[in-house]
Amino acid sequence: MLFNSLEFFIFLPVVFVLYWIIGSKHLKAQNLLIAVASYTFYGWWDWRFLSLILFSSLVDYSIGLSLGKTENSSKRKLLLWISICVNLGFLGFFKYYNFFIDSLINSFTFFGKELSLNTLNIILPVGISFYTFQTLSYTIDVYNKKLKPTKNFIGFMAFVSFFPQLVAGPIERATNLLPQFSVERSFKYQNAIDGLRQMLWGLFKKVVIADNCAKYANMIFNNHTEYNGSTLLLGAFFFAFQIYGDFSGYSDIAIGVSRLFGFNLKRNFAFPYFSRDIAEFWRRWHISLSTWFRDYLYIPLGGSRGGTKMKLRNTFIIFIVSGFWHGANWTFIVWGALNAIYFLPLLLTNKNRVNTNLVAEGRYLPSLKELAQMSVTFFMTLIAWVFFRADNVTHAFDYLQNTFDSSLFSTVEIFPTTILTLLLFFIIIEWIGRSGEYAIERIDWLNKPLRWSLYLLLIILMFAFTGEEQQFIYFQF
Amino acid sequence: MKKFIINIIIFFILAILAGEIVVRFTHAISDIPQRTIDENGIQKYKPNQTGYWKGGDHKWIINDLGWPGELPSNFEDLVLVMGDSFIENFMNPNECHQSTYLKSMLPRFNYLETARSGVSLIEAMEISIENDILNPRHTLIYVNNNDFLESIAEIKRMKDITQLNLKTNKIIRGEMKAPELKKILYNWKLLYYFYNRFTLNITPVKADNKTPKQKNTKTELPINEIKSLLNYITKNYDTNSKTLVFHPNSEMTIVQLCQEFGFNTIILDSSNDKDWTFSYDSHWTCYGHEKAAQQVANQLDKLLQ
Repeated sequence: MLFNSLEFFIFLPVVFVLYWIIGSKHLKAQNLLIAVASYTFYGWWDWRFLSLILFSSLVDYSIGLSLGKTENSSKRKLLLWISICVNLGFLGFFKYYNFFIDSLINSFTFFGKELSLNTLNIILPVGISFYTFQTLSYTIDVYNKKLKPTKNFIGFMAFVSFFPQLVAGPIERATNLLPQFSVERSFKYQNAIDGLRQMLWGLFKKVVIADNCAKYANMIFNNHTEYNGSTLLLGAFFFAFQIYGDFSGYSDIAIGVSRLFGFNLKRNFAFPYFSRDIAEFWRRWHISLSTWFRDYLYIPLGGSRGGTKMKLRNTFIIFIVSGFWHGANWTFIVWGALNAIYFLPLLLTNKNRVNTNLVAEGRYLPSLKELAQMSVTFFMTLIAWVFFRADNVTHAFDYLQNTFDSSLFSTVEIFPTTILTLLLFFIIIEWIGRSGEYAIERIDWLNKPLRWSLYLLLIILMFAFTGEEQQFIYFQF
Repeated sequence: MKKFIINIIIFFILAILAGEIVVRFTHAISDIPQRTIDENGIQKYKPNQTGYWKGGDHKWIINDLGWPGELPSNFEDLVLVMGDSFIENFMNPNECHQSTYLKSMLPRFNYLETARSGVSLIEAMEISIENDILNPRHTLIYVNNNDFLESIAEIKRMKDITQLNLKTNKIIRGEMKAPELKKILYNWKLLYYFYNRFTLNITPVKADNKTPKQKNTKTELPINEIKSLLNYITKNYDTNSKTLVFHPNSEMTIVQLCQEFGFNTIILDSSNDKDWTFSYDSHWTCYGHEKAAQQVANQLDKLLQ
């Protein structure tokens, strides 16, 4: 079920009303309702894959309980590895099996040998990368004794399958979300209103910004040989806003929906395109994934404790794995590696934590230096997005080669004024609201008629400028 | 909670009003003409309607007779142009209609389109009886494979389409599907916009079943049923003054059967040409209509010498 579908428009109010009719006094019943609703939400896409989520929940719940009962370190290690193997095994099979087979065949062909292996017709279960990481975080935290194992299976099922963030995140930590299933959740007017507001903003990002940018990004990327350099650059620009609007829009809706049910999810995006360097960008983009890799991969690998060599190695590993997490394609690996290369100079000069505060804090406009820094960072991400969007590595290199030839300085061949005006409106609103959790969070200083007018304006823009695309990009990851 | 629900309801009403205004103002959805069933049981449009096609780039009109398009300046040497949504052609402006192109290519005739989406071959024949009062010199009926198959109730019963029951040799008139509901849907633009923009999937789907699998083998044509249909048509309607205009890529077996039964035929050919259809829709663009009209005009000229 998509957030931007009629089914969800019916589903959400029904679940909301039932949830609050049950009331906060009946926690188990509320959790059961969330679990049932979540399984329905996911099963709407394909009910057959519900068994995967159920199995994953059963394995990690049982392992969690077993970890709680034993202090034997080798037994605990074994239990942890079982959880890792089962979860990553599913992920590996469904997401990467064909990629590895294809890569193996290509490698043999490269050395002049023929290898006869068949790929399988595998459907990638929506959201498998997200819920696998979520449930893994539970086992690892229990193993590290950061979290006590839960005995509440319904609550655990609801945690793994929690419908607002099940298929495209944010990837929640067990330490943050799981305890919320064990405490009474009461309806708070301000939270609910705030949740709706964030949903509205997320929906605007998706249907107006992302879907309209998608139209032009697809047109330009799919026919890149027909356009000049400046148009190709514009294509990458559209893709940058498509992916941001799409993914951060989904996160906003997920966080907003959760608030309607009394849950608080972690922030996933913090205005990444206003970053002054690439390190800041990665502290602001897909935060739940970056921090997951930091805590469960980078730090266990030694983090930055073992000198420059180790820092470099670990940085490369984390970026490449992060790229590979996005999809079974070399383009994502190159995208990850490229970001690692961007990151290196900052790491080596110990300047990776220079820009931790808000850009132009307390000011309406950035300084020239800040503007230049933001522009350079955005441009670097733009180049990297070309690899992310391209069908294969050759496509990406072709695209970049055609972009940076003499035609870069010729007039753009496509100039959709309406969409660019909407983008300008969007960037201005994001800039004004950059100190909040999301752009329109802090509009309480406006009186009610003005606030409602702004909401209605967003709705009007959604009706008037809705794009054709409907699927969320991150579903495929 | 009470305050929340009240605020939500008020906001929801305001949003619906705002949405309705925007959808109407921007023509985010096409206006749909209202249909009626006349005294002869023919489904046509209520006369003298007009509306915008999606995006508001052009208007469609329904003339005095209840058919899309403009009436000819006079009815002398009249050639009727019949067919389904291809000829109804709401998606293109008036200057891209078959009648307009034909008039510019063969000006010695006058042309009247009597088309409606969903018309089957047998319904076209029924409409032609009603059109006899106009004393047409000739009738062009634009057909594709489905128009033959959908004419026969035994192949697949379709309540909203006029069909022939081969067992009883009786015409079963098409009924209007949920006319009241459609009236609400077409007038409440926002609702219709939602209905079109977000298809409601009321049953869960399997991820690999979203797109129908292409069949490798061709479905066998029900030759005997088509022969019975053509037999019925030749016995019950005047076919001498009619020409069947076959869409490009029509099944040649059907074309040959029609020729065996004595029909005049024109077979449109779009091979070795750029695409006649929209990228998002199987209907013809202005270019497609112009090319089709060119081929029709060439043959009609010879036919009506």
